[in-house]
Amino acid sequence: MTAEVRPLSILIAALGGEGGGVLSQWIVAAAARCGFPAQSTSIPGVAQRTGATTYYLEIMPVPASELGGRRPVMALMPGIGDVDLLLATELAEATRQIALGFVTPDRTHVVASLARSYIMPEKMAMADGRLDDTRLVELVGRHARASLILDLDALAREAGAMVNAVMLGAFAGTGMLAIPVEIFEAVIAEGGRTVEANLRDFRAGLAAAQCGQSPAPRPLEKRWRGGAADLAALETEAASLPEAVWPVAVEGIRRLAHYQDAAYARDYLDRVRQMVAVDVAAGLGGKLAQTTARHLALRMSFEDVIRVAQVKSDPARLARIRAELDAADGDPVRIVEYFKPGIDELCSVLPPALARPILAVAERRGWLGRVHWGMHIKTHTVAGYLRLKVLASLRRYRRKTHRFDAERREIETWLAAIADAALLSPHLALEIAECANLIKGYGDTWKRGMANYRAIFEHVVRPALARRLPIAVAADAVASARTAALADPEGARFTATLADIEKRAVPQAAE
Amino acid sequence: MERSFKHEVQSLKLSDGEIFRGEGILAVTKALLQSGVSYVGGYQGAPVSHLLDVLVDAKETMDALGVHLETCTNEASAAAMLGASINYPIRGAVTWKSIVGTNVAADALSNLASPGVKGGALIIIGEDYGEGASVIQERSYAYAMKCTMPLLDPRPDLPSIVRAVEEGFELSEASHAPVMLELRIRACHVTGEFAAKANRPGAHSALNKFSEPAPHDYSRLSHPPVTFAQERIKVEERLPAARDFIRSRKLNEIFAGDLDDIGIVVMGGLYNVLVRALLRLGLADLWGNSRIPIYCLNAVYPLVPEEVREFCAGKRTVLVVEEGHPDYIEQQINVILRRADIATRVEGKGTLPPTGEYTAEIMLKGLTAFLAATRPAGVAADAMVKAVDELIGSKDEAARDVGHLPARPPTFCTGCPERPVFSALKLLQRETGPAHISSDIGCHSFATFAPFSMGNSILGYGMSLAAAAAVGPNLKQRPISVMGDGGFWHNGVITGVASSLFNQGDGVLIIMQNGYASATGQQYLPSSTRHRPGGAATADIETTLKALGVRWLRTVRSYSVATMIKTLRQAMTTKAKGLKVVIADGECQLARQRRVRADDSARLAAGRRVVKTRYGVDDAICTGDHSCIRLSGCPSLTVKPNPDPLRTDPVASVVDSCVGCGLCGEVAHAAVLCPSFYRAEIVRNPSWWDRAVDRLRRRLIARLDGATEAAA
Repeated sequence: MTAEVRPLSILIAALGGEGGGVLSQWIVAAAARCGFPAQSTSIPGVAQRTGATTYYLEIMPVPASELGGRRPVMALMPGIGDVDLLLATELAEATRQIALGFVTPDRTHVVASLARSYIMPEKMAMADGRLDDTRLVELVGRHARASLILDLDALAREAGAMVNAVMLGAFAGTGMLAIPVEIFEAVIAEGGRTVEANLRDFRAGLAAAQCGQSPAPRPLEKRWRGGAADLAALETEAASLPEAVWPVAVEGIRRLAHYQDAAYARDYLDRVRQMVAVDVAAGLGGKLAQTTARHLALRMSFEDVIRVAQVKSDPARLARIRAELDAADGDPVRIVEYFKPGIDELCSVLPPALARPILAVAERRGWLGRVHWGMHIKTHTVAGYLRLKVLASLRRYRRKTHRFDAERREIETWLAAIADAALLSPHLALEIAECANLIKGYGDTWKRGMANYRAIFEHVVRPALARRLPIAVAADAVASARTAALADPEGARFTATLADIEKRAVPQAAE
Repeated sequence: MERSFKHEVQSLKLSDGEIFRGEGILAVTKALLQSGVSYVGGYQGAPVSHLLDVLVDAKETMDALGVHLETCTNEASAAAMLGASINYPIRGAVTWKSIVGTNVAADALSNLASPGVKGGALIIIGEDYGEGASVIQERSYAYAMKCTMPLLDPRPDLPSIVRAVEEGFELSEASHAPVMLELRIRACHVTGEFAAKANRPGAHSALNKFSEPAPHDYSRLSHPPVTFAQERIKVEERLPAARDFIRSRKLNEIFAGDLDDIGIVVMGGLYNVLVRALLRLGLADLWGNSRIPIYCLNAVYPLVPEEVREFCAGKRTVLVVEEGHPDYIEQQINVILRRADIATRVEGKGTLPPTGEYTAEIMLKGLTAFLAATRPAGVAADAMVKAVDELIGSKDEAARDVGHLPARPPTFCTGCPERPVFSALKLLQRETGPAHISSDIGCHSFATFAPFSMGNSILGYGMSLAAAAAVGPNLKQRPISVMGDGGFWHNGVITGVASSLFNQGDGVLIIMQNGYASATGQQYLPSSTRHRPGGAATADIETTLKALGVRWLRTVRSYSVATMIKTLRQAMTTKAKGLKVVIADGECQLARQRRVRADDSARLAAGRRVVKTRYGVDDAICTGDHSCIRLSGCPSLTVKPNPDPLRTDPVASVVDSCVGCGLCGEVAHAAVLCPSFYRAEIVRNPSWWDRAVDRLRRRLIARLDGATEAAA
C-alpha cells in the first residue's frame, strides 16, 4: 500500500461569473492529459450571479497507470487542515476561506489576487466602509504556509483577458503539481475564441508566480493641483506654516483660486493662519490646524452648480473620458450630463434679497424638494457646451449669491466653535472640525448631511460650549453622533444617539 | 440558454468502450440514453438544470433515438408525464430540483405511484441541500416512503451514478414502482469518467410507435375502488419485489473491516465524506479500505431487513450516517433490529448533529464521538477526540483573527432589468412609507439582500400574489407582490392571478418580464419571444392577463425608473378596486449581452458602425456619499480611492463591465442625487456624417473655449 501518495487538494475561491469554473476545468483537463486522476466539484447554483463561491479539486500527483488499477476515493468538499492550495481571485475571499478554517499554516499554500471587488456593505457605506487591504494581506501571510499575492487584475488588464487565465498561470508557476507548461497551454488552446488573450494571460501569471514576489499594495493616487504664477506669493507665505499644515494649505490655496479667485484663496490662508494660532495656543502640534485647513478648503469650495459646470466643461475632462473609452482620434464621443436642479439650486445662484422671498414662498407651498427641472445636457454639442460655459461663468457673481452668503455664515460659526472648544478641550475641537465631513453631496444628500451637522451643533456642541454638557462627555458625544449620522441614511441610529446624549446633559435650571 | 453544451452533446454520442468525461449530471443524461428511454422531461433548477439544457442542445441525437423531450412548465407537469409508463412498457425519466420540485409534483407522484408502472419510470432529483442550496432544507425521503417509491442515493462517483440510473430502470420494472434517484449538489457537479456504452433506442418510441392505444384497464387508474387494492399491492407486492431486486443485484455495498464489532451504515451520497474522515483518522486508506466495516446504502429506500440484520449481527454498535431531519433510516434500522431481537446499539443523531449538511468537519467530529463511545480495540479514541477538537478550535481562532467579514450573496447582474424596479420601489417607499412586499422565487429575490433589503415573505415559486391574499384585507396599504415571468407560468397565473381575480383581491402585482427563466440559466418560457429556436412565443402575458379579466394593467419599460414610480404610485392609490398589474418589461441582460456582444464584434470586424454606451462618474464632483450605490447595487458601480488630496471617503466609480443600461442616469434623475453621472457614447467605425459633425463641433467648442479664456 502506498500510504504516502495522496491527492493534492485545491480550493478555489472566486466570485460568480469570474470564470472559476473554467479555471477548474483547465486544471482538471491538464491533469487528465498527464494521466493524473483528478476530480473537481462546485456549488454554482445562483451564486454564479457575482456571489462568493468555491470550487474544490483533488488531483493525484501520479498517473493512474502507476496505481495498479486502484481508484482513489476523493473528497467532494474541503476539510479543515486538509487543503494544500488555495487559489483566490479576490483578496477578501481568501480571508473568508481563512475564517472557515481551510487555510492552515502546516499545509496550505495561498495564491491570491491583490484585487478587491468590494462587498455591498463596503460600497454602500455613507463614508468609507472598505475593509483594510493591508490587514487582509497580513491575514493571508499569517495563516498560510506560504503565500503569493499577485495583482491578477492588473496582469489581466495588461494582457486583455480574464483573471482566471492569469490564475492558471500562477498555479502552474507554483510548481505544486508536476504538469509541464506546454500541457497547460495546449489545454487553453482547445478553448475556442479567446485563446490568444488567455495564453497571454497565462504566461503573465506564470511569470509573476515564478518571480515569486508579491507586489506592494498599490499606492493611493492623489491628484494634487499644480501651482500658478499668480499664487506664488500666497504659496510662499503658506510655506511658513507648520509642517503638518502647509501641504494641505497649498492645495487649498490652489483649489480656491481655481474655484473663485486669488482673493478668495487669500481669505482662506488668513483663516488657516488663525487656526494655526489656535492650534499653537492649545499645544496640539498642528493636528487641529491641519484637519481644519483640509475641511475649510472643502467647505469654502462648496458644491454649487457653478463648480459642477466648471468641472464638466474642463477640456481635460473630455480627454480623460476619451482615454477611458479607448477612443481613437477620429471616433466621435458623445457625453450626456444628468442635471436636475430644484428651487434651492436655482436660488443658490441668486442674490440673497431675491432668493429669500422665493424660498419662503416655495417652502409655504411645499415645492421644496418636489419641484425640479430635469436636464440632459449634451456636452459634446455646441449648445450643450455653451450652457455649461455660461453656468461656469457665473463664478464672478458667486460672492453675491445667496448660497455664498449662507455658507460664509456657517463656516464662521464652525471656526468660532472650534476656537472656543480648543480652550476647553483639544479633543472636542478636533471632533467639531471633523463634523464638516458630514456636509457633502447635492440635493437630498446635502440636505440630510447639513441637517445632521446642525443637529450635532444644536444638541451637543452648543450645550458643551455653554457648559451644559460635561466637557469630558462632549468630545465622545460628538464623535459618536458623527459616526451615528453615517450609519444609516434613514437616521435611525442618529436620532437614538442624540436622545442618549441629551439625557447626559445637565438641565439648564440646575446651573 | 446561459451555457452552450456543444462539447457535452458530443459526449452523449459516445459508444461502447469509449470514455465519457464530464460532470455527474451529464453522466446521468448519457446513462438515460444508454438505458433506452423513450421520453425525458423535467423542470429546470439547480443542481439539475444541465440535464435538460444539454438535451435541448442535443436535438439531433435525440431525434435519431426517437426520444421525446418535454421542457415542462412545472414539476407537476413533469411528474404527470411519467403517466405514459403506466399503460405502456416504455422507459421515461424526469428531473427537477428537490425539495421544492417534489412538493409541486406531489399530487401527480401519488397518482403515479398508486397504479404503478409497466415501463421503467425514473425521477432524478437534485437534492438542493447544504452549502450552495437555495431552497428550504428538507429531505425528499418522506415522499419515497409515503408513495412507496424506491429511492436511490448512489456514491458520488460517475460509475456508481451511471449504474444507479441503469439499474434504477430495471428496479422500476421489477417492482412496477416509479424510482427516485437523488443527487446532492456536489454530486451533480462532480467531474469524473466512466466507460460509456452505445445509446439504445427504446423498444417503442417516436421511431416505432404503438399502433393501438392501451385497452381500458380500470386497475391502471388511481380511482376507487382500485385505489384500495393498489395500497395493498404497493406494500405487499412492490416493496418486497424492490427489496429482492436490491438484494439480488447488490445495489447496496458492504466494505469489510477488521474492527468488526462495530460498523457504519452510510447513505451512498455521503460515502466519500465518510471515507475521507476515516482516512484522516488513520482508519482507512485512499482506496476505500476501511478498518471499520461500512454498509453503503446506494438504495436508501426501501431498506432490506435481511441485509441490515446480516450487517449488524455480532456488532456491539453501529453508527448510522444519515443527513437531515427526520432520522428515517435510523428509526427503521432500530425497528428491524428490535423485531429480530438483535441487541446491536444504534447510534446516529446525537452522535452526529440532527440537522445540517454533514461536512468534512462534522463527519470528523461525529466519528471521533462514535469511537470515544465504542472504544474499539487498539484505537486511540481519546487522542483522536483531542486532535479533532484542536483542529476545529484552530478554525474558531482563525475566524476570530479574521473578524467581521460581510457575506457576499449573489446579486442582480450588471445591467439587470429587474434592479431598476427595486430602485423605483425603494424611492416610492420614501414617499409612501414602507409597503408589504410579497417576494417570490427567481432572480428578483436578490432584492431581499442589500442594498434593497426588501421582502416580507417567500412562499414558493409563483406564489407571491397568493401569499398576499390575506395580507391585503388586514393592512391599510395595498400589498405589492413581485413575480417573475418564470413564476407566472410555473403556477402564478392560476394560484395567484386567477385566484385573486376570483376573490376580488385588491393588491398590486409586479411581473418581471425578462423573457426567460433566468435564475436557472435562461431557459425559454411560454412567453419567450426573442430568438427562441422553433418559432414564436406560444403565449403572451399581457393577453393572458386580459383574458383572465385583469382590468388595471400597465406595461412599463423596466429601466424607466420615473415612469415606474409614477405607475406604482397610481397602482397603490387608485380608487379602482381589483388586481392592479404592472408588467416590468426588459430582457434579461445576461442573455441580451451574449447576443449583443457577438453582434457588435461581428459588425466591428466587418467595419460597420457600432455605438457603445457606458456610464461614468466625475470623481471631482462625487463627494463619496454613495447614495447612488444604495439605490442600485450594480456590480459595475463600485467605489475607488478618492483622488482629491483633501478628501478621504472613496468616490463612486463605474468600471469597464458597464453595459450602459441607463439605470445610473435614471436613478440620478429620479432620486435627485448628484450631477456626477454622465453617459458616454463612442461611435466606432463612424460614418462620414458622424465624423463631419464631430469635427465641426469640436472646432466650434475649441473656439468657444478660446473666447471664454480670453474674456476671463
